[in-house]
Amino acid sequence: MTGGGLIGASLPRREDARVLRGETRYIDDVVLPQMAHAAFVRSPHAHATITSIAVPDDAEGLLAVVTAADLGETVRAFPLMEPDGVQVDHAHAHPVLADGEVRYAGQPVAAVIARTRALAEDAVELIEVTYAERPAVLAPRDSGVVLTRWSRNAGDVAAAFAAAAHVVSGSYALPRLIAAPMEARGCVAAYEPADDTLTVWCSAQDIHRPLAQLSHILDRPPPRIRLIVPDVGGAFGSKGVVAPEVAAVAAIARRLGIAVKWTEDRLENLVGASQGRGIEGDLELALDAGGRMLGLRARLWADLGGYLLTTTPIPPHTAGTLITGVYDIPAAQVTVIGALTHKVPTGPYRGAGRPDAAYMIEALVDEAARRTGIDPVALRRRNLIRRFPHRTPTGLEYDSGDYERCLDLALELAGTADSDGERGDGADVVRGRGIALYVERAGGGWESADIELRPGGTFAISSSSSPHGQGHDITFAQIAADRLGVTVQDIELRFGDSATSPPGVGTFGSRSVAMAGSAIAVAADDLLAQARARTGTTTIDWPALAGEWTAGGEEAAGGDETAGGGEAAGGGEAAGAAATSEPPTLRASARFGSANVFSSGAYVATVRIDRGTGELTVERLIAVDDAGTLINPLLVHGQVIGGAVQALGECLTEEAVYDDGGQPRTGSFLDYSLLTAAEVPLIVTGEVQTPSPLNPLGAKGAGEGGAVGTLPAVANAVTDALGGRHVTPPFTAEKLWRALHDEPADGGP
Amino acid sequence: MKPAPFRYEAPRSLPDALALLDGEDARALAGGQSLVPMLNFRLAWPELIVDLNQVSELAYLQVCDGALRIGALARQATLHRSDVVAAGWPLLTAAVAHVGHAAIRTRGTVGGSVAHADPAAELPVALTALDARFHLRSRDGERTLSAAELFQGALTTALAPGELLREIEVPAPVPGARTAFLEQARTHGDFAVAGVAALVAPGAHAAIALLGAAAVPVRAVAAERALLDGASAGEVARLAAADVPDHYRRALLTTLTERALERVMA
Repeated sequence: MTGGGLIGASLPRREDARVLRGETRYIDDVVLPQMAHAAFVRSPHAHATITSIAVPDDAEGLLAVVTAADLGETVRAFPLMEPDGVQVDHAHAHPVLADGEVRYAGQPVAAVIARTRALAEDAVELIEVTYAERPAVLAPRDSGVVLTRWSRNAGDVAAAFAAAAHVVSGSYALPRLIAAPMEARGCVAAYEPADDTLTVWCSAQDIHRPLAQLSHILDRPPPRIRLIVPDVGGAFGSKGVVAPEVAAVAAIARRLGIAVKWTEDRLENLVGASQGRGIEGDLELALDAGGRMLGLRARLWADLGGYLLTTTPIPPHTAGTLITGVYDIPAAQVTVIGALTHKVPTGPYRGAGRPDAAYMIEALVDEAARRTGIDPVALRRRNLIRRFPHRTPTGLEYDSGDYERCLDLALELAGTADSDGERGDGADVVRGRGIALYVERAGGGWESADIELRPGGTFAISSSSSPHGQGHDITFAQIAADRLGVTVQDIELRFGDSATSPPGVGTFGSRSVAMAGSAIAVAADDLLAQARARTGTTTIDWPALAGEWTAGGEEAAGGDETAGGGEAAGGGEAAGAAATSEPPTLRASARFGSANVFSSGAYVATVRIDRGTGELTVERLIAVDDAGTLINPLLVHGQVIGGAVQALGECLTEEAVYDDGGQPRTGSFLDYSLLTAAEVPLIVTGEVQTPSPLNPLGAKGAGEGGAVGTLPAVANAVTDALGGRHVTPPFTAEKLWRALHDEPADGGP
Repeated sequence: MKPAPFRYEAPRSLPDALALLDGEDARALAGGQSLVPMLNFRLAWPELIVDLNQVSELAYLQVCDGALRIGALARQATLHRSDVVAAGWPLLTAAVAHVGHAAIRTRGTVGGSVAHADPAAELPVALTALDARFHLRSRDGERTLSAAELFQGALTTALAPGELLREIEVPAPVPGARTAFLEQARTHGDFAVAGVAALVAPGAHAAIALLGAAAVPVRAVAAERALLDGASAGEVARLAAADVPDHYRRALLTTLTERALERVMA
């Protein structure tokens, strides 16, 4: 396929064969000579003072035991993001290693460096740490310590509630979730004294954020750290911040002048990696007699954990800003309190505040429908935002969308049969149907791209955004090939090495196509304009043009094909705009920035609950998403399905559980239950494409919609099946059975 | 998640295996689906691992004098695929389908599941309903136990140090019997929260074994008697779970038992 027809083409990912053949190179596949291995002494307590640490003189293969005291002033605590208007208490930034105090079970206390990981784990057993236990706070509302705070009061909220014919309230909560990527976290860090460079291979979502975080923590400027992201086996938001263990390993590699690897195991990941969700809220909605929404009050509490990691402040703020959803609510008073609890810190997990907001507002709208007697679909239609751009009382500006079209399509796909015919509750089952709309913040910020014409008439593109499974490679190739009038085979993408990548922000928040894709589009347009100016023709014969320039001796450009995976091509030539002499061929660079774009969607779930066992079966899920103009519908479809299945896990089984003393009870997949293919229902997808006016592609974001829309739709269907009784996810058989039989939720005879 | 250091032996004969198991703090390794995670979590710290996988004389599944004989190394997948088992002991075929996933069943052994005695495991319950006999062998000789004698508590059996579960013997099929195995689990392949194995030959034989009623498989003896006396499926089911204290678990076992009985009595 050549240019012009590539936007909207469902082409498979180019890395699929490599992935399926096991030819990928994950962090554990990075092996350096004389490499040592790290394991960690971790806190067994949720909250305690460290009174002493006794280290053995020697153990087999032991190279070093490093504590916070050993690192001393060579490291700083984590840098913290401050989303717009959020007050962040920097005194609670996560330390690299525990310094005198531990605030969650699993917190790294000492790093043990040995010749092998097994020997390091053996040595961990020999280190004696004594603790004085302190009381653990587990519920955010019980915490006296506020780590982040955000509030917003817009419109006349008091007047809205005074004028209301109906005031409907609801209290909602979402448990903590574990991202559980197939590949856990990890790094290899190596220090080269000759050029004073610390090279860190890191299983991360992108290069620029871990680089900035390590630069701050190690107080070492970015050029003296090279950050390489090899193939990544999933992240789902959990790899947007470096692990404290990675910071420790990097500091130790620098200090000892050796290469050190840390490959996180599953136990470490389940108890030590930042978790998602963990939020609750009290909401009140004021409506007039006709069902028009007049005002919203919301007070949210986020269970942030013992410390703040860099990205911890983001999701609760996102939830707070999106709490008015797709509805035209003129007045809102929203407060979001991020509280200290004695658990591992939270952070972004697919959706990162978006599902939280959609879950609460959509449950509340259904509650309003029940209270007012207005049909839930009619109540939604009456209040949908219809004019764009739309400024919400929470301060966001929705760029575009057509919420009613999404709703209409979802209802059409759902049909009417399951709302009436199949609906009948039987002796053994009760059925329910739930509808939910969502809007999500995507894009925003900036990314950049370098593109160059290479000998032979092909193109090399360096993108600032690196992939971790999404399929950037083919998507970006489609964008460039479409602009340049060439085939995708002519485009080679390079990612993931701070030595060669152009500057950027990162891969998160459904932003890669809208931002990095747009940067590629702009760079490609620039390249085409240069070529047209030089040749005086509209249609460019790229091989001829390349031949013209390369005939006279070009730079060495051979290395590109040798990288095998291509993903983390170390070496190679320095791409980039900063060419010093006469360019031997054609190059362009672009930086693209814009305000946020807003994807949206409408979901319908039909469920049945077995009266005898309480078992929930999601019979059918209708997923309609508007992610703007789609570059590659096949990959968008995969994103929707993947997000929906993760959300179904959130609905059915997933929950990070802590006991009353703050001990994690979900330290293996025996206890933290992930769905299998057998639990996945029929998912029917539909799409609406409302182009964003904010970028040249018209793109929004598709990475999270499935995770955002599914939860509220299923939750509303469950509440419907239970006759209006609300249950907190996950909707386990036991909880639903107790709800059906009016039993107390927490068991007991 | 690396195991603490241990010594490893892979004997090729049963006498050699028994000799190794007789000595120091030794654990027998068959399919490794429970022991290896326990080693990796450092919940088990044996001095010696005796790997039985080379002891080919234990890898059998055969019918002998009408009874099904399951050697210690018979894989769950072998049981699952066996036409002979499906024809004569369909309760086992139904139960083993709930054990983990294909990869787990391919390594995991029937004997390992029994010896591990997880209270949420399916095979011990099905074998309890089938009146299976368990042949234990040590250097000192052999003894044979019933399910009630073998299963003593959660993860606890009557197996003595140095003793190996050599064979499980399942009696010849009950003429005219129909069977059902039902369970409730969070996800397909997960351990069960509750389950029931039922084997009924109307007017002649009734066996109901429960998973999740206690820390060991439980035969619902009073319910079995009531069934033979002509009680309805609902009455029998209520009787079967009557002693379970937790309301939800009792309701779950009652529901599953009633549904299982409706299948076998239909």
